[in-house]
Amino acid sequence: MERKGLRTWWFLLAVLTAGSCQRQERRVQEMPDQENCVYYWRTQLQLDSTERAFLKRHHISKVYCRYFDVVMDSAQGPMPNATITFNDTLPKDIEVVPTVYITEDCMHKRHEGLAEKLVRRIRQMNETNDISGVRELQIDCDYTARSRRPYYEFLKEVAEKWRETSNHTSYLLPLTYHLSTTIRLHQLSMAPPPVDYGVLMLYNTGDPRKFQERNPVLDLRDVVPYVKRLGGYALPLAAAYPVYQWQRTIYGVHIEHTVEADEILRVKQAVERERPGLSHSIVTYCLDKENINRYKPETYEEIYHH
Amino acid sequence: MKRFIIISLLALATLPMLACAWQESHNYYLFSVCGGDDFRDRVDKTCDNNWKEYLGITENRWRYYDADDIIAAAQRKGDVLMVSYVKNLEKYLECARSAQNTWEYPTKEEIAERNKTLQEVRTYAQGKVTSRLRSQHGLLLMRCNMMLGRHQENVTFWEQTANQFINSVYRDMMQNIYAGALLRTGNADKAGELFAEMGDWSSLMTQYYEKRSCAAIRQQYLANPNASVLPFLLQDFVNNTQEAVDVDFEAGSAGYLQGKLFVRDIQRSEGEQMIKLCGQVISEGKTLTPALWQSAKAWIEYLYGNRQQGISDILAATKMDGTERQKDNVRVLMLYMTAMQAKPGQAFDDYLADELEWLDNKKQQDSHYERVKDRLLHQALTSKYSNRPELAVALLKASYDYDQVSYMDTMKVENLLKYLQYRKSPAQTALDRYLKANQDEDKTDMNDLVGTKYMRLRQWDKAEQWLQKVPLSFYNGKGYAVYAANRNYHVEPWLKRQFLKESVEYADMEWKVESNPKLDFVREIQRMEGELNVLSGKALQQRCYDLAACYAQAHFTGDCWYLMRDGKSVMDTLRVNEADLAARCRELLQKASLTNDFQLKEKSLFALTYGYLYTAQWQKRVWSDEKLDFVPEVDPTSPHYKAMANMTQFVKKNATRISPYVSRCDNYLQFAKVYK
Repeated sequence: MERKGLRTWWFLLAVLTAGSCQRQERRVQEMPDQENCVYYWRTQLQLDSTERAFLKRHHISKVYCRYFDVVMDSAQGPMPNATITFNDTLPKDIEVVPTVYITEDCMHKRHEGLAEKLVRRIRQMNETNDISGVRELQIDCDYTARSRRPYYEFLKEVAEKWRETSNHTSYLLPLTYHLSTTIRLHQLSMAPPPVDYGVLMLYNTGDPRKFQERNPVLDLRDVVPYVKRLGGYALPLAAAYPVYQWQRTIYGVHIEHTVEADEILRVKQAVERERPGLSHSIVTYCLDKENINRYKPETYEEIYHH
Repeated sequence: MKRFIIISLLALATLPMLACAWQESHNYYLFSVCGGDDFRDRVDKTCDNNWKEYLGITENRWRYYDADDIIAAAQRKGDVLMVSYVKNLEKYLECARSAQNTWEYPTKEEIAERNKTLQEVRTYAQGKVTSRLRSQHGLLLMRCNMMLGRHQENVTFWEQTANQFINSVYRDMMQNIYAGALLRTGNADKAGELFAEMGDWSSLMTQYYEKRSCAAIRQQYLANPNASVLPFLLQDFVNNTQEAVDVDFEAGSAGYLQGKLFVRDIQRSEGEQMIKLCGQVISEGKTLTPALWQSAKAWIEYLYGNRQQGISDILAATKMDGTERQKDNVRVLMLYMTAMQAKPGQAFDDYLADELEWLDNKKQQDSHYERVKDRLLHQALTSKYSNRPELAVALLKASYDYDQVSYMDTMKVENLLKYLQYRKSPAQTALDRYLKANQDEDKTDMNDLVGTKYMRLRQWDKAEQWLQKVPLSFYNGKGYAVYAANRNYHVEPWLKRQFLKESVEYADMEWKVESNPKLDFVREIQRMEGELNVLSGKALQQRCYDLAACYAQAHFTGDCWYLMRDGKSVMDTLRVNEADLAARCRELLQKASLTNDFQLKEKSLFALTYGYLYTAQWQKRVWSDEKLDFVPEVDPTSPHYKAMANMTQFVKKNATRISPYVSRCDNYLQFAKVYK
């Protein structure tokens, strides 16, 4: 309780200070810091020299690292799957955000004790693998109207368990985040989840069947209908952009869906025009040598431009 | 023994993960020469049977390994060695379990403790490898070595000791661990051969994940034309080729584009190289299984559209040598190609009946043949029998196919009635006999379906005949019962939408309807429609309006969509075998709008502006490259525009009397701004 009171006080102070010297454009609180981040989405943590150089060159301060998935097992209920193995470490100055992808069917109803098991597992993975300085975690789930309520309840429980098991002082600091979740465009129409902030997924926006009309990875025309919801979405948001390639064969032709750098930047411009705070915290999906080589360093600099 | 827990070779590789789930499709792989009886399943089953025998029980259990039961049985038998073996096996299994995907992630201390336990079990097992249970203890020793990373010791133990043990499931498992140890100690070729001989497809896929190209297969063939790994590599190559082509099929039929875990895109040029390689292998005569290569060639040719070449190749394959599995594979491909190409008729029907019987027998042993049948049905047979719809339905039902529901749901009612008639008639051909032996009784579903089909056609009297046979309990079990129980088709949707609260819509309870909702609707509409002929004046106009509301609700965009359909989607459109309820609704509203009654006229005109009654709206949003946004584009020729214009003129003439539901309607206000 004492911690909570102190946090509230710091928060109010911060808001009042900000309000006194800035034009108050919107009530929505934004991500406070400018930060460059990446997703790491493989089953083994092992970086090569290109990936390490990328982290350094682009001043990446945070890596959302997929720790494991949670999938529905018909006999045992939600179970961890595809757990990462740590064969390497990230540079010391980079903050690791354990990220867990949960399949939507796990959230069709409440599963007693799931939040506690998840938090305990993440804590243990950190301890066993000597990963220190972890302050926050992220949950990724394509929740729908059906799963929204159980998911939000689950997030509240995760936040509570994470706070209970936290042994560092970050809970005393103002505007320090502890729990985030991914927000897909269609989820902007729902009430925001009970987390500190969301990462707006600006990828997988299209219909893969209409590949001839739109790039299914990202097309501004698929983003625009949702843009107007951004301004009033009452949750701090980071923005995540795709740098990956999706390969498949259609009508006997090998198709590579790569988003043109210009398209990423046009989307960035469009969403930031509606909600300038989206330029504060920027994430790319995902860290991989091939993705790094796909775009010029200048393109990455533009994506990470605040 | 519990599942054969191996610290899987899969851990060696970073395999792609499922970022999202996909829907089941019908593009199953047809080419299967490696056998579905995977090594792990096989040894698992044998071990389990061994325990069953040891326990001396006859009852059916899911698993027979239970350490407590076995120790108790061993103590009763005075089998001290078995007691100590099972106790140590349990210690090992506990270590293996904690290393897997469980919620309890191990601590450093637990990992150290685990290694200590493994070391103790290892020492114990080492001391028993000359005992009566030498195979079991040898396996335990090798398992511990594997988890402790002592792979070279496993190589030595197998080569010097364990390979001389008698044949048993434990020896097979030791050999599997030996193959893994070979791979980890740099002897990959030998490991691959052993994995292939054992049928350990998971380990093979891990080992060959990056070596599955035509060039790699050629190299493998040149090194050993009868290498055990070749069928596996060939199967993988052919199925990936099929995958690429199947995606075309799926895209062409507007199905979902699929992703599969081990898919490797095969370019056509590479596929053609493989056709040449197969031809070369057969002509060189070094292979002992030409049927394998010939069927691979046949299938790739066929997939690439060279149908006649494919058929001629597969015919040739039927006369070639191969393993039993490879010959079955030839038969499957022959069946599929024949079903796709042959002319319909008695000869094909007779051939099909035999082949379906054969597939049914095969699928008892291996689920691959179930998938073959599924693909055969959906890609070949349903279209082949489209002119004999009763057989198409019977084929789907005989296969207990999930898609039979949507197939029957969308077919013409006359065709469904033909099927019901066919079901009652005596069998005359071999195919009839096969099909009729495999039809289930589903009278209630059929009564509902036929009745609903007549509703969709607005043939209310016929609908009533069928629907009155459906009991109430049928509707209470339906997923749409929540809507049927909470919505009313008399409500005018243009004035009030019947959205349900989340707490109602997703409530964890079974909703009950008080009466048959479809029958109620049918009877009421029948009465209301019938009375149109006897009513006149305002009463007639009011009736037209009331009926229009019912039709709008029963329309697939209405709140009572469940009256005509089993599910709802934003992608829904009017189907070919359905009357256009929206058109009927508009027609009735037009009649109602001719009234002199101000309120009824206002409501009717307003109802005619209801967007869901039209396929095209008065305004659509089109993308502008210039503005990088969607911009509105008005279509003054659309019927919806005309309805909006009529409403606007009415409002202008009666500005002081207009109701708030019109003056506050955002859609109307938007239109009024642009209407001149």
